[in-house]
Formats: sequence, C-alpha cells, structure tokens
Amino acid sequence: MALIIPVIFIAVFIFAVIKKVNVYESFTDGIQSALKFTISLLPCLAAIFMMCALFEASHLSDGLTKLLSPVFGFLGIPPELTKLVLIKPFSGSGSLAYLNEIITTYGADSYIARCACVCFGSSETVFYISAVYFAGMKVKKLAAPIACVLIATFLSTIIACLVCRVM
Amino acid sequence: MNAIFTVVFIASMIALAFIAPDKLLPSLLGGAESAAQMALTLFCIYAVWMGLSNLAEKSGLSRGAAKMLKPLTRRIFKTQNDAAGENLAMNLSCNLLGLGGAATPYAVKAIGELEKENNSFAQKLLFVINATSVQILPTTVIALRASAGSISASDIFLPSLICTAVSTFTGVLLFVITQKIGGRRKKWR
Repeated sequence: MALIIPVIFIAVFIFAVIKKVNVYESFTDGIQSALKFTISLLPCLAAIFMMCALFEASHLSDGLTKLLSPVFGFLGIPPELTKLVLIKPFSGSGSLAYLNEIITTYGADSYIARCACVCFGSSETVFYISAVYFAGMKVKKLAAPIACVLIATFLSTIIACLVCRVM
Repeated sequence: MNAIFTVVFIASMIALAFIAPDKLLPSLLGGAESAAQMALTLFCIYAVWMGLSNLAEKSGLSRGAAKMLKPLTRRIFKTQNDAAGENLAMNLSCNLLGLGGAATPYAVKAIGELEKENNSFAQKLLFVINATSVQILPTTVIALRASAGSISASDIFLPSLICTAVSTFTGVLLFVITQKIGGRRKKWR
C-alpha cells in the first residue's frame, strides 16, 4: 500500500518525459495555480476559524456536548466522541486536534480511539466543502444536499461505533 | 452557511461577554492565526498535488484517464462537457486513494465547468459524493495511529470502508429522492 504514492509520482514524471513535456515549467505552473487557489480560500478559512475559536472559548461547545451526550449514548456513540462528531462537519483541523487528543488520552488501540479514527476517516468537513465548492457559483438551494450529507454522516457514525465493537 | 455562521458567532460573542469579555479579541486573533497556519499546510498539499496534476494534464495522461471514465461520468453526472468530465474523473480517483486534499481543486474546477452548462444537479451530486467521503484508504488516520504506537495501525481499514460506503450510499440515495420530490413540485406548479 505504501508503494501507491511513489508509483503514481514516478509514472507521471516518466510519462511526461516520454511525451517531451517541459517538466519543470509544467510543475511550477501547477504550483502557481495552487498558490492562487490557497489565497482564494483564505478569507473563508479565517472567518470559519474565528467562529470555531469563539465557540470553544465561550464554553458553548462544552454545553452542547453535555446536552447531547445522553442522546449520543442512547445511539451507541460514546460521549467522548461528541465533540469530534460535532466539529467534524465544520473544521478539518479542529477535528484533527480532537482526534489527536482522544488517541493520546485513551491509547491508539482502545475502543474509543478506534471508533474516533473510523468516524474521522469516513466523514468529511461538510460545511467547509460546501463553502469552498460553491464559492462564486450561482447554484442555490443547498440546504437539501447539505441535510442529506449530514444525515448520511450521522448514520455512518452510529454504524462506526457498532462495527468497532465487533471488529 | 450564512445563517449558521451568524447565529453561532453572535451567540458565542454574547456568552463570552458574560464569562470572559477580555478573551474575545484573543480568540478571534487565535482563530485567524490557525487559519493562516492551515492555509500554509493546505498550500503545501496543493503545491505537491497540483504540480503533479498539471504535469499529468500537459502530458495528456489525465485526458486519457478521463476518456476511459467518460461513459461513467456522463451517465452519472449527465454532462457533455469534456473538461468537466476530466476533472470529475481526477476528483474521484484522488478521493478513492484517500487524498482528499488533492481532490478538492479538481472538484472546484469541475463545478466551475458544470456551471457553464447550468448543470446544478451534477454540481450538487458531486458535492454529496465528496462530502460523504468516498475514500478506500484512510491514509491520514493510519499514519496518525502508527505514530501513536498502535500495534496494527491499519486494522481500521475494513470498518472505515464499511462506514464510508454506507454514508456515500445513503447520501446519494437521499439526495436523489429529494431532487425527485423537488422536481415533481415544480411540475405541479
């Protein structure tokens, strides 16, 4: 499995050489567009991160966790995962921070940590993606697709906690 | 997004004003700072993958791959646009390899191309597929577990596969159902 990435890189480079493409120039051009793309993301990122920081600092996230823990417990989701599940749709780095915390507190091979890893790996930052994808587009009525995704993600979280008990 | 952002922002500011008013500015600045750090991390990921993808594009490799996947993308996304099909194909292959960061630029390009045909169905479908995560290999999580001293870091492979399959299937199913209902409502009017 570790070979996948080297194989992709080597194949693309060798193919480019065979096709007589200017490798250095094309690669640099790609990075140029990466730079433009990153800069176009920065305003959204900054706003969302400020919101997350406020949400944490105001202890509203703790309150929400306490409020939702019984519901999550009923569905078989350990209360330790509440924050991770709640933050994941909003922020990739925020959820990564919680995931790291869970792994170091409970140990990488504990049920909680494995559960957290599966939840993290099988879900995406829904609101972030919707902001990035549809920035500057005319598409409207995004509420329905976002709701579908959130329901599907929540279902897979419940299943993750179930599957990790037996596997 | 606007509604959620505004509500959470105002509610948090009010709550913070009661418990620790002096923390408002530091947390805003801290948020912006982590956004800047995040942007730097993202730039590194994009620089590597977009550099590579530009190379694949210039050498005609991605066009070849897209051509192979074209019947599939055409049928699923109902698009005639070749550039859109190419970006869709690249987005899906990056996702399957667990390279979510590399997949994003392709998705953005594909959505821009689909905008030209006013194909909002395909744009939303692509969003649903990406947002429910379609990866086969959760590379980041496995790396993280290995570095934390797990005995078998990759044993979450199968549970992850099950969950991501369930979430993508459910998401697409729900989306198609809501689209059908919406379409019918329009016809009634």
